[in-house]
Amino acid sequence: MSQFRKGLWRSAIAAAAVAGFVTSAAAQMELKIMAPAAPGGGWDQTARSMQQALTQSGTAKSVQVTNVPGAGGSIGIAQLVNNSKGDGNQLMVMGYVMVGALLTNNSPVTLAQTTPIARLTTEYEAIVVPANSPIKDAKDLAAAIKADPAKVTWAGGSAGGVDHIAAALFAKAAGADPTKINYIPFSGGGEALAAILGGKVTAGISGYGEFESQVKAGKLRLIGLTSAKKTANVDVPSIKEQGIDLEIANWRAVVAPPGISADQKKALTEVVDKLAKSKEWQEILKAKGWEDAYISGDAFAKILADEQTRTKEVLTAVGLVKS
Amino acid sequence: MEAFVSLANGLSVAIQPMNLLFALIGVLLGTAVGVLPGIGPALTVALLLPITFKLDPAGSIIMFAGIYYGGMYGGSTTAILINTPGESASMATALEGNKMAKAGRGGPALATAAIGSFVAGTIATLGLTFLAPYLVDIAVSFGPEDYFALMCVAFVTVSATFGDSPVRGLTSLAIGLLLGLIGIDILSGQSRLSFGVPELYDNIEVTTLAVGLFAVGEALYVASRRHVHEEKLEAVRGSLWMTKEDWKRSWKPWLRGTAFGFPIGALPAGGAEIPTFLSYSTEKRLTKYPDEFGKGAIEGVAGPEAANNAAAAGTLVPLLTLGLPTSATAAMMLAGFQQYGLNPGPLLFADQPNLVWGLIASLFIANAMLLVLNLPLVGLWVKLLAIPQPWLYAGILVFATMGTIAANPSPVELIMLTIFGVLGFLMRRFDFPIAPVVVGLILGPIAESQLRRALSISLGDPMVLMQSPISATLLVIAAIALILPFFLKGLSRFKAVED
Amino acid sequence: MSTSPRRRVDVAGLAIALILLVLAGIVWWDMTKLQILSPYDLGPKVMPIVVSGGLVLLAIGNAIGALRGDLPARDSLDWTPIVLILGGLAALIILIAVGGGFMIGTALLFATTSTAFGRRAFVTDFIIGAVIAVFVYVLFAKLLTLSLPAGPLERLF
Repeated sequence: MSQFRKGLWRSAIAAAAVAGFVTSAAAQMELKIMAPAAPGGGWDQTARSMQQALTQSGTAKSVQVTNVPGAGGSIGIAQLVNNSKGDGNQLMVMGYVMVGALLTNNSPVTLAQTTPIARLTTEYEAIVVPANSPIKDAKDLAAAIKADPAKVTWAGGSAGGVDHIAAALFAKAAGADPTKINYIPFSGGGEALAAILGGKVTAGISGYGEFESQVKAGKLRLIGLTSAKKTANVDVPSIKEQGIDLEIANWRAVVAPPGISADQKKALTEVVDKLAKSKEWQEILKAKGWEDAYISGDAFAKILADEQTRTKEVLTAVGLVKS
Repeated sequence: MEAFVSLANGLSVAIQPMNLLFALIGVLLGTAVGVLPGIGPALTVALLLPITFKLDPAGSIIMFAGIYYGGMYGGSTTAILINTPGESASMATALEGNKMAKAGRGGPALATAAIGSFVAGTIATLGLTFLAPYLVDIAVSFGPEDYFALMCVAFVTVSATFGDSPVRGLTSLAIGLLLGLIGIDILSGQSRLSFGVPELYDNIEVTTLAVGLFAVGEALYVASRRHVHEEKLEAVRGSLWMTKEDWKRSWKPWLRGTAFGFPIGALPAGGAEIPTFLSYSTEKRLTKYPDEFGKGAIEGVAGPEAANNAAAAGTLVPLLTLGLPTSATAAMMLAGFQQYGLNPGPLLFADQPNLVWGLIASLFIANAMLLVLNLPLVGLWVKLLAIPQPWLYAGILVFATMGTIAANPSPVELIMLTIFGVLGFLMRRFDFPIAPVVVGLILGPIAESQLRRALSISLGDPMVLMQSPISATLLVIAAIALILPFFLKGLSRFKAVED
Repeated sequence: MSTSPRRRVDVAGLAIALILLVLAGIVWWDMTKLQILSPYDLGPKVMPIVVSGGLVLLAIGNAIGALRGDLPARDSLDWTPIVLILGGLAALIILIAVGGGFMIGTALLFATTSTAFGRRAFVTDFIIGAVIAVFVYVLFAKLLTLSLPAGPLERLF
């Protein structure tokens, strides 16, 4: 009985959702956005937020989000390159993590095969230490690593991910051997954070959002962000401003399938340009705490190519990619 | 005392009609998704986030709490009735619960699960209210070496799931450990036993394995024996409700399950599965009816169910006090908080007392609501068993495959489900116990990675395992648990000789 | 209902021991391809070595059991229902892989399974399965906006 009522309630909501879809039919495009990850993760949230902003602002006629999870996006990109060739209505969300994952997984498909459209958001990495640590700033940390990289333990995300790469780059910039860093990967953000709070490791590295509330509460000390200049939301100069030449960001972007025409590429870029400027998208960025880092066209294509070169160098140095 | 006043304030927030409605929607939705393997509370909360964006923060967070608890109930209902654990934490429940259901005791099994969940959820929520600040310090001080020691205790006690033959039990466990190797090794980033198949890089999904072994395997097994052994299901034999005897046998397991679930759930890498196994093993050791274990012992349902729900409340300790999301659902709730510009963390209790206490109060309400909803439904649920056998098993297979594709729409995932189904069939046919496979898949990778982390931090010095007081204590417990049965056996033999 | 009197040597038991031995070999072979990357990490090889060694010991244990013939008695097997159920699952997998959507596959799986359990109403059961599939599709795809594998039928909704 209650089962039946639940069913009714659901179909009512479903009908409402469909109706909402139809009435916002202002623009021309019927977009498909693939999130190469399971529902709930960062890429999925980006795809669904794009869907929300595109339909509400009337930039696209309809947006369908599909999830193709697996292997850090390797499965999603393979599907994009092999099955969607020349499809001018298809986009895929991706990010810096995919650059590394494709390399470490020996993916037969590369990002060079996709059509870059635009970078959307960015999040800087933060290095933190427990509040009672003798390490006060980036210089102290760099000195400790130079003295004995084994004694400086890092807690962060999975091996070969952006946290690992940033830690290796920090060691390199500090003048230490990046292959000798004692980096300990943890499976979830919470687990790494617990290890740092519990003083089990020397330093932690992850996106700043993971640490923000702990830093504000005084439980962790922020050593610095990996941005070029100090950002407005923190009180500490960036690591680069403290004299350690490290700049890295975990960005998210959209790419299109290979083999689309110049016109199709132009149309897709226009839609994403409009999205980035829309009030709805800006509101979502604010609510989610995502930093706007919009760059489209050739400038983004160049960033994508540069990041691939640099990441390959780092991952080869730490042994995750065979040269 | 202060906590009492705050809790009373919280209750006044939670019992506002709109918030009650949100809690109701939450528990209904949670129950619905909980019954589907593969679709859990985390996924549901993730997908609802954009919809709840416009709602009032208190209401939607209360709804998420309802989904969380509802998911636990839904998962155990299917575990008991159709041997399809909707979540990995419901697996221990399926072991005895489904046997009870097949013997016509589905009613008492569901009732002890529901009441046990309520009791455990309530005690654990009280624990969250009063102990959170103290517990969280201990939780954070738990290092990799301590987790490894905890896994040692778990490994020693899971022998309770082994059945009659140690060789066959260990074989099942080894297969589980082997499956646990598949995928990318988190510490080195290299893939193991993946043979270049990218779908295997992400490790074997516990629910896919559990559903394949339990549900698909059983369907194949029962079908293959129909010509010699007609399975007769009696929906109800004896009382539909718990008898006085059932109550007597249930209350201690509820409390013991809570004692396992809440603290382990509060650990950042504790999880809900380990306490359910520990509870199952403990009940099997302590029971006065050892013969019933494996045939449907009510203690084996009461304990793990309580542990499961207490662990769910335990997860909220690090989330609310530190902003540490220690489970997928907690991570989504964190995203929910952030959507409203709230930062869970050390300051949340001070900055947003109404919201936090409203959430805690609504946990009590969600729990009570689930009990009130589920007890009357017990009669309806057990009628499911009266569905003609062909439809029942066809429905189970459709459920199992749907849940799998909804979470991951890839044929590879379904192929794995089928392979695990065949494995489950063969293991039943040759009398290998099923549960240790899943136990191995869950415990193996945790034990391995925590040991390696501990040794990386200590630069390879194994003494780290003895230097931490927590780890040393747990290892001693593990050693005693390993030796004690032999010692007791020897003692009784000695006594027999004396006589 | 064991059909033959218990043999002294259980061939199936020996086959199980052999399979365990082969698995141990695969785990070992896979382990040799791994590298130790971090100088402080115990490395990814230790666990496979432990598992592989354990499997060898268990293979011996199972072989001894089989030679003694102490495996439990087994009933005779009816292959028809197994083939039906696995066929239904295979059909679903193939339909999804080639883009036929999950509805037809699900309906087929429902019908083959109920046939495997002795019902003789394939068409009726196919329709019941289809109704369940439509209900689930509406629930997942429309309410929770999950992307289920779509084929010609799903696009109608």
